[in-house]
Amino acid sequence: MSSFWKTLLRHPGAVIGLVIMAAVLFIAICGPLLFPTSPWRMVQRPFLAPMVVPGFPFGTDALGRDVAAGLIHGARVSLLVGLVSTLAALAIGVPLGAIAGYAGGKVDDALMRFTEFFQTVPSFALAIVLVAIMQPSIVSIVAAIAIVSWPPVARLVRGEVLSLRSREYVQAAIVTGHSNGWIIWREILPNTLSPIIVLASLMIATAILLESSLSFLGLGDPNLMSWGYMVGAGRTVIRQAWWITVFPGIAILLTVLALNLIGEGLNDALNPRLAKEGR
Amino acid sequence: MLSFVAQRLIKAVIVLLAIVVLNFFLIRAAPGDPATVMAGEAGATDELFVAQLREKFGLDRPMHEQLFFYVKGIVTFDLGFSFRQQMPVSKLILDRLPATLLLTGTAFMISLGMGVLLGGMAARRAGRWTDTLITTFSMVFYATPLFWVSLMGILLFSVTLDWLPSFGYETVGAGYTGLRHVSDVAAHLVLPASALGLFFMATYTRMTRASMLEVSRLDFVKTARAKGLGDRVIQRRHILRNALLPVVTLAGLQAGTLVGGAVLTETVFAWPGIGRLMYDALIQRDYNLLLGVFVVSSAMVLAFNLITDLIYRLVDPRIEMNT
Amino acid sequence: MLKKSLLGLLIATGIATCIAEGAMAQTPKAGGVANVIIQPEPPGLMLAITQNGPTQMVSGNIYDGLLRYSPKLEPLPGLAESWTITDEGKTYTFKLTKDASWHDGKPFTAADVLFTVEFIKQTNPRARANLAQVESVTAPDPYTVVFKLKQAFGPFIGIFEVGSMPMVPKHIYDGIDWKTAPANNTPIGTGPYMFKEWQKGSFIKLVKNPKYHVKGKPYLDEIYWHVIPDAAARSVAFETGKVDILPGGSVENFDVPRLSKLKDVCVTGKGWEYFGPLAWMWLNNRQGPTANKLFRQAVMYALDRDFAKNVVWNGLGEVAVGPISSSTRFFDKSLAKYKYDPAKAKALLKEAGYKGEKVRFMPLPYGETWTRWGEAVRQNLQDVGINLEVVATDVPGYNQKLGEWDYDIGFSYLYQYGDPALGVGRSYVSTNIAKGSPFNNVEGYSNPEVDRLFAEAAVAFPDSKRQELYNQVTKILIDEVPVAWLLELEFPTITKCKVKDLVTTGIGVNDGFRDAWIDK
Repeated sequence: MSSFWKTLLRHPGAVIGLVIMAAVLFIAICGPLLFPTSPWRMVQRPFLAPMVVPGFPFGTDALGRDVAAGLIHGARVSLLVGLVSTLAALAIGVPLGAIAGYAGGKVDDALMRFTEFFQTVPSFALAIVLVAIMQPSIVSIVAAIAIVSWPPVARLVRGEVLSLRSREYVQAAIVTGHSNGWIIWREILPNTLSPIIVLASLMIATAILLESSLSFLGLGDPNLMSWGYMVGAGRTVIRQAWWITVFPGIAILLTVLALNLIGEGLNDALNPRLAKEGR
Repeated sequence: MLSFVAQRLIKAVIVLLAIVVLNFFLIRAAPGDPATVMAGEAGATDELFVAQLREKFGLDRPMHEQLFFYVKGIVTFDLGFSFRQQMPVSKLILDRLPATLLLTGTAFMISLGMGVLLGGMAARRAGRWTDTLITTFSMVFYATPLFWVSLMGILLFSVTLDWLPSFGYETVGAGYTGLRHVSDVAAHLVLPASALGLFFMATYTRMTRASMLEVSRLDFVKTARAKGLGDRVIQRRHILRNALLPVVTLAGLQAGTLVGGAVLTETVFAWPGIGRLMYDALIQRDYNLLLGVFVVSSAMVLAFNLITDLIYRLVDPRIEMNT
Repeated sequence: MLKKSLLGLLIATGIATCIAEGAMAQTPKAGGVANVIIQPEPPGLMLAITQNGPTQMVSGNIYDGLLRYSPKLEPLPGLAESWTITDEGKTYTFKLTKDASWHDGKPFTAADVLFTVEFIKQTNPRARANLAQVESVTAPDPYTVVFKLKQAFGPFIGIFEVGSMPMVPKHIYDGIDWKTAPANNTPIGTGPYMFKEWQKGSFIKLVKNPKYHVKGKPYLDEIYWHVIPDAAARSVAFETGKVDILPGGSVENFDVPRLSKLKDVCVTGKGWEYFGPLAWMWLNNRQGPTANKLFRQAVMYALDRDFAKNVVWNGLGEVAVGPISSSTRFFDKSLAKYKYDPAKAKALLKEAGYKGEKVRFMPLPYGETWTRWGEAVRQNLQDVGINLEVVATDVPGYNQKLGEWDYDIGFSYLYQYGDPALGVGRSYVSTNIAKGSPFNNVEGYSNPEVDRLFAEAAVAFPDSKRQELYNQVTKILIDEVPVAWLLELEFPTITKCKVKDLVTTGIGVNDGFRDAWIDK
C-alpha cells in the first residue's frame, strides 16, 4: 500500500487534486459549524459587490443573502449529492455487472440488453424526465443521477469479472465447492476494486456537474442551497452581479477538477499493478 | 456480415419497443396531464373544459387502450398527433431535427477532430510542456459546466466584442439566400457548437492520449520500431489506427449524450432543435410529442451504435461479431 | 379649478412620459419592422381556442374584439362602431363597422358575431361564465347585434375585449370539428396584422393587413415575435439590438433596472389595467394550521410585502390592500389593514395554538423572480416560527396539486378583468368550490354572507349600490383572510424609445400594434 501512495504522490496532478479536495471536504464538514447562519437569511442589501462591506468577501445575492454562507453550506450539499448518487449507482451497477460477468450466457445477454437500454435513452434527457416525474427534491435528484449513471459501472465490472473468472484461484475456489455468492464477494470483487475506485472518483465529479445542470433548468431542490442551485439562481442576473454565478461556478470547477486529477492519479497508481497481473 | 447486421437490427427494434413502453408509463406517471396544463394556461377552467381536453388528448380511454394505439402507430411509423401544437408529431420533429443534427454533428466533428489531434499531440510529446498544457486545458474544460461556458461565450463574443450572434439559427427576416444564408447560419452555429464541442473534446483528448500511450508500449510497435520504420509511419499506420478503437466506442456511446447536452445548449442559445422540443414537451405534458422525441433520439443512438460496430469491424477485423 | 386641471395635466404627462410625447408631438410614420420577444412560445394562435398569455399577446393583433378598453377601462370602438345600453341595463345593441373584412377577403358581418357567441361558449370556460346572463342574441340587420340579458349585469360591457371574445370567422369554422381543424394553424382574423409564418422554436411572423377597417392603420409592415427560452439570452438580444420590444414578463425583474438605464430605452408599467394581476397565497382553509383564522392573520402580519415590492419586484407594483386590485372597479383604499409586524404575528400564532406543525409551501414555478419571491416569503414565515417545507413542482404538478387541494400555502396570481363580478368573486364564493381547477375557490373558504353579497353586487344597479356592497364584502374578507394578498403586480414593457404608441389601451401589447409605429 505504501508503494501505492508513493506512486500517487509522485503524480503532481494528484497532489494538487488531493489538496483541493481536502480543503473542500474540510469546508463541507466543518464549515456549517463555524458559520451556523442559514444561507437563506437575508442579511444585507441585495447585489452587494464582493469586498465592499467587511464580512462579505463574496458579496450578496439578489435578495441580500451572503454568497460566502451559500458557498460554505453548498459544499456539503453538492458533495453529498455527488457521493450518495455515486454510491447508489455503484449499488446498482456492481451487482448487475458481477452477475452478468460471472453467470455468462443467457443471463449475461439479458442483463447487457437491460444495460444497453439505459444507455440508448439520452441520459441527461432521462434524468430531466425522472426529476420532473418525481418532482424536484434531493431524493429525486440523487435517484435520477444514479439511474442514468450506473451502466458504465455495470459494463466495467462485467468486463473485469469476465477476465477474472477464468483465473486459476477462482477456478480453484469453484472446485473446492464454495458458493457462487462467496466466490464473487470474496475472490472476484476485491480484485475489481481498483478500476471501480477510479471510475467512482470520476462519477462523483460528473454527478456534481449533472446536479448543477438540473438546477440550471430549474429542477433543483429549493430546500437545499447547493452550488448548482446558486449558479442557476444567479445566471439571470449575471450582467449586473457576476459574483453570484462566478464563485459557485469556480467552486464546482475546482471540485470537479480535483476529483478528475485524483482519478487520473489513482489510475496511474493502480494500473501498473493490474498490468503486472496480466490484464 | 449481413446476418450480423440483421441480428443487430432485430435487437435494436426490441430495445426500441422496450423504450416506448417504459417511457409511455413513465411520462404518464408525472403529476398533472396536458389537460391540467392547458386549463392552467387558459386562466380559467370548468368541468366541461377539462372533459373536452381529456377527450381531445384521448386521456379518457383506458391506459392499455392508449398504449395499444400508440404502439400500433409506431409500427406503421406514425408517431401520433400533438394536440397541444395542433400538428402531427412527426412533422414537429422533422421540422426541428435538422437544426439539432447540424448542431450536434458540428460539435461532434469539432470534439472528435480536435480531440484526436490534441490527444495525439500530447501523446507524442508525453511528459513535455505541450502535453502538460493540453492535458490541463482539457481537464479544465471537462470540469466546467456546459451552460456556464455557454453564458460566458455569449457575454464575451456577442455582448462585449459583438462578433457573433447570441441566439437563434439564422438572422430572422433578413431573407438571405445561397452563400449568404450559409454563412449566416454558420455564424449562428459557432458559439453553440463550440460550447457543446469543447466539453466532449476534452474527453476525446484524454482518451486518445491514454490509448496511444498504451498502444505504443505494445509489442508490435516495438517490432515496427526495431524494423527501422520511421516515426511518422509508425504513428500513423500502427499506433493511431489501433488507439482509435476505444475512441470509436466512446463516440458511439456518446451520441446519446450529445442529444442530452443539446437540451442545455439549445436552451441557452435559443437553437430551434429537438432538445428544446423535448424539454418543452415535458413541461407541457405533451405526451405524444415527448414520446416521439424519445423514440427518434433513441433510434438515432441505436443506429449510431450499429455504425460504430461496423467501423470497429473494419478497423479491426479480429473482433468477433456475435456480441 | 384651472390650477387643478393644470396639475392633472402635468401629472399625466409625467406618468405617460415617452408614450404621451410620441402621441402628442409627432405624427405616426408608416413602415418598418418590429422585433418582439414572445415568452414562452404559444401552443397555438387560434385565440378563441387557445387562451394562454402568449397567444393573447400575438393573436390580439390578428383578431379583433367588438370593443377595446382604455387604461381606465372605458369601452372604445373596435369592430363595433357604437353601442347603446337600454331597458335598465338589460339590452345591449352594437352597431358594427361596415368596412371590416376577414384576412381572406370575406366581409365581416353580424352573422359572424352570432356564430362567435355560440362557438366561444364551447371552447372558452371564461367566456362561458361571462355569457351566462345572456338570454338571447339577435341580428336585426347584417350590421347590428342585440344582446338581451336575463337581468341587469353591470360588468357585461367589459367582456368584449379581443382576448375574452375574439371574433371567429363563420365561413371557416361553421360545421367542422374545431378540435382538430387544420385551419387552427393558419388563423384568419379581421385584425390589423395577418398571420404569415411560424417557424416553431424560432419565430412567428405577422404582416400588415392592408385592408384594415381603420383607415391609415396599422403602420408597421411586419412584426417578428422571437422565441428565446433563456431569460438572460432574452435581455442580451435586447441589448444587442436584435429585438426592440420586451413585453411584460419577458425578462426577469432583477434585470429591469439595468435595462431601463440603457440609452434610448423606454419603460412603462401601463397596459395591464384590464387584467389587474393580483398576487396572493392560497391558504388551505380546510385543514391544518391554515384552517385557523388567527393563523391566517398571523401570516398577513409576518409578510414583509414592502421588501418583496422593493427588492424582488424592484419597486414595481403596489402592496395589495385586499381582494380587489386598485385598477379594478369598486376598489377602496381606506380598507387597508395589514402592516409588516412580526411581533404581532408571533402573538397571533401563540393565540392560535400553533405548535410548529409542518406547513407545506408551494412557490409558483414561473421563473427566477417567482422562485426568489418564494424564498423571501419562506424566510418571513420562518422568522415568526412557522415550520415551512418547500414543495417544488413544475407547472403541471403545481396546477394538479392546487386543483386537488393538496397543499397548505400556495403562490398564485390571477387576473381581475376590470370588474369584481368577473375576476374577484370567483375566488371566494362557496358555489365555486370544485376540485380540478387552480382558478376557482381553491382555498375552500365558505361564508354565506360573502356569497350573498357577491351575488347581489354583481347585478345591483346603479354603481353606487354596487360600491356599497363590495365595500361590505371586502371588509369581511380582509378580516377573515381566506387568502394572503401580496402585491398588485406590474409587468413593465421595455422598448427602444423609437417604438411609439405601443401601449395605449388597458390590455397594452395584446392589441397595441394597431397603433404602434417606429420613428426612423
